Amino acid sequence: MKGSLWLAWRQQRASAGIAVAVLVVAAAIAAYYRSGMLDALHSGLFDHCATGPLYCTRPYTGLPLLLEIAPLKYLGALNIALPVVIGVFWGAPLLGRDRELGTHRMVLAQGVSRGQWFATRFALAAAVTTALSGLLAGVFAWWWRPAADRSYGLFWYDDTALSGSGPRVVAAALFGLAAGTLLGLLARRVLAAMGLTLLVTGVMTLLLEWTHRARLLVPPHVYVSAGSIPKSPMGEKWSTGTYGLITASGRHDSVFNCAYPSGTQLKECMAAHGYVARFYEANPASDYWTFQWTDTAVLGGLAALLTVVTVLLLRRRV
Amino acid sequence: MTGPDASAALCATGLGFQYRRRGGRALRDCGFTVPSGRITALVGRNGAGKSTLLHLAGGLLRPGSGELRVLGTVPGTPEARARVALLTQDKPLYPRFTVADTLLMGEKLNSSWDRTTAERIVREGGIPLHVRVGELSPGRRTRVALALALGKRPELLLLDEPLADLDPVARSEIMAELMAEAAERAMNIVLSSHVLPELEETCDWVLVLRDGRVELSEDAEVLRESHALLTGPADQADTLAGQHTVVRSRTSGRQLTALIRQRGPLRGDWHVERPGLEDVLIGYLQAGEPGQPATTRVERTEAAA
Repeated sequence: MKGSLWLAWRQQRASAGIAVAVLVVAAAIAAYYRSGMLDALHSGLFDHCATGPLYCTRPYTGLPLLLEIAPLKYLGALNIALPVVIGVFWGAPLLGRDRELGTHRMVLAQGVSRGQWFATRFALAAAVTTALSGLLAGVFAWWWRPAADRSYGLFWYDDTALSGSGPRVVAAALFGLAAGTLLGLLARRVLAAMGLTLLVTGVMTLLLEWTHRARLLVPPHVYVSAGSIPKSPMGEKWSTGTYGLITASGRHDSVFNCAYPSGTQLKECMAAHGYVARFYEANPASDYWTFQWTDTAVLGGLAALLTVVTVLLLRRRV
Repeated sequence: MTGPDASAALCATGLGFQYRRRGGRALRDCGFTVPSGRITALVGRNGAGKSTLLHLAGGLLRPGSGELRVLGTVPGTPEARARVALLTQDKPLYPRFTVADTLLMGEKLNSSWDRTTAERIVREGGIPLHVRVGELSPGRRTRVALALALGKRPELLLLDEPLADLDPVARSEIMAELMAEAAERAMNIVLSSHVLPELEETCDWVLVLRDGRVELSEDAEVLRESHALLTGPADQADTLAGQHTVVRSRTSGRQLTALIRQRGPLRGDWHVERPGLEDVLIGYLQAGEPGQPATTRVERTEAAA
């Protein structure tokens, strides 16, 4: 066991070194920009800004007042792409390189069993992946917190924040590793395995982004306000863009049947059509964690499933 | 299993194996025993199942049917792995590892490791330790792979075509090295090769495979002595048929040349020659091929020595 772990480390130390380097660079950039962000917030420039999604403007010029969050979004994008990167460059060659070169035969002809060969290298890769993705998600959260859910910062439902932070980043990275490992076992060539992994992890990443936007796994809440009284403010909620009117019988109609913001016109229109209430659909800010845990369950479950399939196929393919 | 064959280097009963993809049976119903202390030549044409048998013995494949024992243990178990070394035909090594790394890997992956021997084998080939394996010539790579196999001090060394990509000088050097190691440590060697003359000098047991079946498993000397290469008039062919086993015969004009396993005295007028091991092996390899009279289903001989 010790010997095969030595071999696993000997073969993966370069990748692990790159992982550490990426982490250090990300942390350094985060520290630099975060302190700049805190300075800007402490300058008092943002003190007059209200909560809510509407842009806060600069005095005199009227231009939108924003924190510099582009680098933060890049880190979020990196975290979203992490399963693809780890799957292609770490997962696919993990077993695939040995299979392509036939070197697993040499290793297995030494004093190492198949189980040890797989378990040590997968465990090492999974440990580094967990550490890397967890710390990158942590760096993002630390950097994001002062600017979280502010019009001049980054709302929780922004793609880079919702998918680029929290436990789902770790689950996604492990999913990428497991998918790449299995495809490396199945494909004859490492390059083919890498291509397939790119496809599978890329499609899975985009699919989950789509389920976020479609609110497929976390359905939105319906906020109802009686009559023509002002609706509860949107605030930090993530709107689906669906607004409408409700009849006495409870039927939901499009907002365009009475497309007036408020006031007497609205009142008259609602009375004419028999509408008694207005509604809109949105996910409250607390749904951030619902999204997180749903994704974590889906991706973590898939990672576990793919690993089990890999173990079951190991004896046949190696 | 402990039984009468517990000391045998290799012992198979009803051994069969089928590759999932290729469909056809690579090995079927193989039964043989290679006694301990032998240097065995594993001979057969391409596709006869030599590599499959060595992979099974090395624990890289599992038998589809029947069973195989190496040194009395099941291949692939920790005990068998510690005592058996396998050098596959492609001699895979990590190309980015240096020679020193590769030997260090052998040390780390095996429960026992003889660093002196491994380093000596590499050094005798004039291979610098700091060079990457991928930059070595095929012959030198074979030497490193062999050092890796011998470094674990195996009791049974399985070699699949070890000499295929070596020049004649390197061949004889490596064979000499192997023989010296085998003699020094009473190591069993099973060696597959197409280079029959070299086997003649080194091997004292012969295992012939044809189409996935064991054709012969016998002591080389007994094999040489029990066979005869006959030349004589073609009309005498009948005198052979009943008594002896005709391995292969060829008629050209009125003259018949035949390789027979002799059982009892010869009748008729024959010019008799003692065949070399190579002649016997070629005879068995050619027998049953197209163009050859499918003479007899040669009787399988179990351990005769």
